Parts: sequence; C-alpha cells; structure tokens
Amino acid sequence: MDTLNPRDAKDVEDAVRAAIAGEQPLEIIGHGTKRRIGHPMATNAVLDLSALNAVSAYEPNELIITVQSGAPLDDVQSLIDSKNQQFAFEPMDTSVLLGAPGSGTIGGMIGAGLAGPRRIKAGGARDHLLGAHAVSGFGDSFKTGGRVVKNVTGYDLCKLLAGSWGTLAVMTEVTLKVMPKPESERTLMLAGLDDVAANRAMTAALGSPYDVSGAAHLPGSVFGSSTGALAGLGAGGRAVTVLRLEGIAASVADRAGSLGKALAAYGAVEMLQDDASAVVWAGIRDVEPFAASGARGLWPVWRIVCPPASGGALGQALARGSQGDVIYDWGGGLIWAAVPPRPDALAGPVRQQVEAAGGHAMLVRAPEDIRRNVDVFQPQAGGVAALGQRVRHSFDPKIILNRGRMVRATAT
Amino acid sequence: MAIMMPASDQAVLDRRDAIVAALRAIVPGEGVIDSAAEMLPYESDGLMAYRQPPMVVVLPDTTAQVSKVLKYCHEQGIKVVPRGSGTSLSGGALPLTDGVLLGLGKFKRIREVDFDNRVVVTEPGVTNLAISQAVAHAGFYYAPDPSSQIACSIGGNVAENSGGVHCLKYGMTTNNVLGCEIVLMSGEILRIGGKAAENSGYDLMGIITGSEGLLGVITEITVRILQKPETARALMVGFAEVEAAGECVARIIGAGIIPGGMEMMDKPAIHAAEAFVHAGYPLDVEALLIIELDGPAVEVDELIKRVEAIAQGCGSTTCQISTSESERNLFWAGRKAAFPAVGRISPDYLCMDGTIPRGALPKALARIRDLSAKYDLRCANVFHAGDGNLHPLILYDANKPGEMERAEAFGADILRACVEFGGVLTGEHGVGIEKRDLMPEMFSEIDLNQQQRLKCAFDAQGLLNPGKVFPTLHRCAELGRMHVHAGRLAFPDLPRF
Repeated sequence: MDTLNPRDAKDVEDAVRAAIAGEQPLEIIGHGTKRRIGHPMATNAVLDLSALNAVSAYEPNELIITVQSGAPLDDVQSLIDSKNQQFAFEPMDTSVLLGAPGSGTIGGMIGAGLAGPRRIKAGGARDHLLGAHAVSGFGDSFKTGGRVVKNVTGYDLCKLLAGSWGTLAVMTEVTLKVMPKPESERTLMLAGLDDVAANRAMTAALGSPYDVSGAAHLPGSVFGSSTGALAGLGAGGRAVTVLRLEGIAASVADRAGSLGKALAAYGAVEMLQDDASAVVWAGIRDVEPFAASGARGLWPVWRIVCPPASGGALGQALARGSQGDVIYDWGGGLIWAAVPPRPDALAGPVRQQVEAAGGHAMLVRAPEDIRRNVDVFQPQAGGVAALGQRVRHSFDPKIILNRGRMVRATAT
Repeated sequence: MAIMMPASDQAVLDRRDAIVAALRAIVPGEGVIDSAAEMLPYESDGLMAYRQPPMVVVLPDTTAQVSKVLKYCHEQGIKVVPRGSGTSLSGGALPLTDGVLLGLGKFKRIREVDFDNRVVVTEPGVTNLAISQAVAHAGFYYAPDPSSQIACSIGGNVAENSGGVHCLKYGMTTNNVLGCEIVLMSGEILRIGGKAAENSGYDLMGIITGSEGLLGVITEITVRILQKPETARALMVGFAEVEAAGECVARIIGAGIIPGGMEMMDKPAIHAAEAFVHAGYPLDVEALLIIELDGPAVEVDELIKRVEAIAQGCGSTTCQISTSESERNLFWAGRKAAFPAVGRISPDYLCMDGTIPRGALPKALARIRDLSAKYDLRCANVFHAGDGNLHPLILYDANKPGEMERAEAFGADILRACVEFGGVLTGEHGVGIEKRDLMPEMFSEIDLNQQQRLKCAFDAQGLLNPGKVFPTLHRCAELGRMHVHAGRLAFPDLPRF
C-alpha cells in the first residue's frame, strides 16, 4: 500500500485532490496507534501526518497551545507539564488496551476523542478544541474556530471534528485549551460494594458540592486480571469504589473530610494521596484491567456510554449475561465491558441492554474479522443516521477519507 | 436599513391569506397572529435598531405542530425565522417580510428534573433562570448565566451558545447541554443525545449549539446541572492604569487560578454604573476588576489571599474584599447593571462583543480610545477579562443625523481590531445580521462555503432563517460541486512527498 508523507498543509491538499481524481480513498494516520479501532477500511493509500509535528505556539498565560496535528502527544504533554498545565479532559492512552505501542499524536487524540475520568468535570476533547485548520474531502484547506475560548463566530465545526475518526477532514493544525494542573489530589476509597450500591455512592458524591473530579468502580473480579498499578487495590478480590478530589491542598483535605462523612453509610473510607492517587486514575483511564498484555487481553471490549445513574444495574446485567467483566468510570456513565471471545462479540445482547438503558455501545477492541462483521459504532436511528451521512457528504462527498471506518461499507 | 436581507418573494406574499389559513388549520385559536398591531412586538429582538414586521406570526405549543408548520412551509417554499424570548443582541430573530415568524414562547414546561443523573429536561421557552430556580431547593443550578437570564429562553441560549460571567470556570452553553429534540425544516423530528455524557456518531448536539436558528427548531433540551459551590466571595480591585489591570488578570491565570468570574470595567463604565446603583465603586481609578472565587470556604479564603497579593504586585490602588453575601452582590450590582447604567447617560448605545487574547487587552483598549476620538463618539468598556471577551458600549444619539451610521462604523472597526489582535468577531452574542457582513474579516470564502455546505445537510432549500450569519447566500447544488483545481484532477496518480 502506498504511504504519502506530506510536509505541510499544501502537500495534504495535493494528496487529497489527487486521491479524489484517482478515486483512491485515503487512510489518515498520525502514528497509527489507533488503527485497530473501527471497521477495516476500504482505502488503498495511507496519508501519514507524522511529519507535521511542530508546536506552532504555546502561550501558557492565554491557556492555549497551537500544534500541528502530527505532533506526538507525549512531547506536547511534557511541554505543557513543564508549565504545570495539562489537557484537563485526560486523553486516554490506548496503547494499554490495544497493545499498539505509543500514545500517538495530537490529531489522533482529537479524532478519537477518548476522554478520561475527569470528563465528568472538565468535559471531553470536544470541549477543549478551540480551533482547527483542516483539509476537507473537497481537497480544500479551511479553518474553523479560533485561538480564544469564548467564540461563537460561525458554526462550531470543531465539535464535529472531535470524535469523527478522520472521516470528515484531515486536521493539519489545532488550537487546544490547556488548564492549570491541580496542586494536589486525594482519592477516597470504599471497599466491598456491589455494582449497584457503588453506583449509588458515586451518584451521592457527584451530587454533593465537593467537586468530585473522578468517580470509578472496579468490581472484585477484575483484579485477578489486572497486572498494573490497580492490582494492589483489590487485595483478596474485594471491589473498590474510588472518588477523586483535586485542588489546593487545604481545600482537598477539607472536602475529603466532608465527603467521607457524607458517604459514611457506604462504609469506612481509605485515602490515597497525590502520586498513589494519580497512578490509580491513570490505570482507570487506560482500562488497565483489560490490558492487551493481561489475562483479558484477547477478549473483545465494549465502551458503553449511558445515563450515569443507570450504569450499575446495566453493567451488572451485562457482566452476568456475558460471563464477562466490567469496570465503571464517570460515576457509572462510562462502562468498559470485556466479553469472552465470540464471533459476534455478543453485539446483539449487549446493544439491546445498552439501548434499553438509554446508552450506546462501541466495540473498541476486537480482532479484525469481528470488526468486519459487527457494527463497531452504535447504529443510529434512521433520521439521525441519514443526517450524519449528509453531514459527512458536506465535508467529503466522494468518501475519500477513512472510507468504511465508522459505517460498515458492506452493511446489509 | 443598512443590512441587505434576502429579496422577498412576491409569489409568497400574494398567497398570504391562503398561507395564514393553512397555518390556522395547524395551530388553532390564538396561535396564529396576522394583524399588524398584534405583530408589533415581534418586529425586532434585542438589536432594536432593526425592525421588520413578519408576514405572519405562529406560536405552536406542541412538537407535532412545529413539525407540521415546518413541513408546510418547506413544501410551499416559505421562509421561517425561529424566535425564543427575542433577547438576541445580534438580530438573530429579525423577521423577514415574506417569512413566518415561529415563536417558541408557549414551550414553557420543565419536563423532568433528574437529580441522580444531574440533568433537567426542558422545553425551549423556559427561561434560563427558571431552570436554576427549579433545582435550587436541592442545591443545584444551571451554570451559564447570560445577563439577560431573567428573560432569555434556554432554546435561545442553545441557538446562540450563550455565555455569561461564570463561563470562564463553568463553560458556555455548549459545555452544559447533552441532548435535544430538533425539528428539521422538512418537518422531520429527530432526537440527538440524551442523558449520557456523549452522543454516538458525529457530535450533532455540538454543531446545533450556536447555529443561530439556521439548522433546525429545537423543541426539547437536556441540560447538565451542577451543585452550587459552598461559598463565593469577591474582590473589587482598582488600578490607576488599564495596563496594570490587564497584567493582573494574566498573572492570576498564570498562577493557575481560575476564578468563578473575572470582570473589568473602564473609567466611563465605572462612573456610569456608580451613578446608577451606588455600589461604592472607586471613581478615581482607570480600571476596576471584580474577581469572584467560589468553592469551599477554606479554598476561597486561601485564593483570596493569593489574588490580593498578585493585585498588590501589579500596583493596585484600591482593594475591597467582600465579607458577606450582600456585599458580594453589591460589588456585582454595578457590573450587572452596566448596560442600563450606560443607557441613562446616552440616548442610544451599541453593545459590541468581540473576543481577544487576554494579553492584547491594553492594545485593544488603546485602539478603542483612538477610534473613539476618530468617530467623535464616547465608549464605555465592560469586559469579561478572564476569557478576553470585550463589550464596548458605543454611545450615540439616533436622532442626530448620521450618528447611528458612525456608531456602526466604529463598532465594525473594533471588531476588525479584535480579529487583527488574534481574536474573533463575537464571543457570545452571535453573528446574526449585526456581524454578518464582517464574516470575511475572519473567514475565507472556502471557510464560509464549508459552513454553508453543512447548513445544506440540514436545510437544502435554505428556508430556515436565511440572511443571518452568512454574507452571501449560495445554492446548495453550487456549493456541493467539486471544482477542478488548476487541472490537478487530471492526474490519477497520488503524489509523493
């Protein structure tokens, strides 16, 4: 397969125009760390953006950074970390779950839009993308948004680009919001709750004024398969519910005391401080219990987003019905479900239960043959699906970009 | 009227009686208004310099009626302008002579309060403030708080992606809405998102928010609600120079502090506000910052100390710190009343809404001073300093020939300067008709064509709110055409780099 290595936005335009003319759909990659997500594509050339890797401008006092889309996420995170800043939505490192090394590029981070635990407080990738330059499937460079947070000038195309998996346009440069890193963090830990009780405890915490920035639950059964930082938490196979508080030290200590009291009915509270707390949340963000290198490494994994208060009951039913394992983030609003290997990854029963709970499910990890035959992304209601396709055509009428990745080309 | 609106369709106007009758068959009783006198209140929105009676006003009260009205207009080729409470400052709800004005004012019910999922499901005609009031007993509130929150509707907030003084910390409307029911121009009813944190597929909620009524008519909205912070306290800090106030804002952010709100007023705004509400504002300063910190008491107390030290380091000349809720509210009273306060010292004023990078503030204010001299018009500045959103208030007298035109030219120059300094034309009021013709200052034809193609995906005939946002209207077929670029499409081979 041909690989094209554009050096700038103009090269990207040329590549897309030639692809349109030659009717040769392009697969768009940065470092290619997320190529195993989505349907196998009907593309016959690769557009590799890794040479567009410059940091165009970093202005800590303006809380913004402008980078080319092929910039390595690790490098950019180190840069903003040096000024005590971060991407507040905690972008997931998919290498743990997928087993493809590297945390990828900024473009991949936005295109995938996979936010971590702090999404409940800080929003997702879509909330942090302020502006973009991109090349549409017309082969035209366009810009949207700007370099300031408060902006309502024209349609907010950034929202569409985030989470579009490279199917609307090839981003060449993006401006992102950065936020100060909290001075300290503390995690409150409750042990031994079943999924439904844990969901209630998380709901109580998130409905409190204590500004919880992470709410997750790990049932006891997942610790057997966990090898990383989380393995130590579930000693003896106990379930663990964790709640994170962040901010200046005095505030965190004060809120930890108040939240502990508010949750007294759910049992004794243990505390994890700063670094010990941080590794736990990184493990949850990256779905360490279902790591590619771990005991559940060969199981298909679903990423389920649902109304948070219904997560416990839904996850419990999914785990029982599939004989699989689940973990919960976002106070129950995000469920990662690993199911035993089956040719259909149990898509029928999983989606039936998820839809009944008002949620949607994405098959985030599965072997290629399963991803060929099962809808990876949640199939949508007729009118919404049709509108989505019209939106896609408005950017890429010839379906040149990542053809077949989000919607199965051969769907019948 | 200086702004050209789409040419009116005589064939539609000739059928007016039949159209009114058809609409009455869909929305019975008082839901269709066609007498000139009764249509008067709908002639303009918050941008009152522009007025235009619509062909007819329709006030449906069910989604089914909205769908039938739109379907009928779609089939008949009739333009439709949606309207919430009519508080838009950019003319987003300005009627068209040959258009149906579709008011959502009867959609006034909160449908569900769901504390466990921390959401409210509401109809679009409910006011912004009413949502907060409906959940206040449980300690919750809806965070975006535009200054018109007593009157503005949540549907209008979604259409305009409204902000407010607290959006520095809590985000704008787009960061606080999860789902909606929307009716497309064809009459098709769709549900986007819901109570989950994210939609599946493309983020259609994200693109609908801030689309200024051009993509669809929203009939239900699901918003996130938050717990109220335990405490809030404010500092009121005066500076002898605007530059020092700007530096103070930058240093607070640079120190990793994100205040709940951070507002600035310049001398003319301070004087106007003080004369109106007697909040105790210092009158001998060039710039006043109101900085609010919220959270647990221990956090607020600590951050107040840090901010006070930063302010002193920047050469503040006065600093008051609120010790009670009534004092905090008094600090805010002047800022919140800044627009009417300016209204008292001038027969008319024009409120602008550009955003600049925070660091460009002194430059921007210097430019506004120069322009004020050039156009010989006074200007008072209030400013969401934390997020760089400027609200220059240009004072003029519409009864003096030529003054309104001068005020508009002054305002346009301010917005051009915002773009020149790396900012944008509008931070929260929307483009509407007010900034429509300035869009090319910020966007190329290619940029605007991409936005209009998206519009075509929702409304292929361009019947919904035409004449707003985009300076030039194109037919969808023309926008969808793939142009040949300098013969390059002739080469079948992919290039190598």
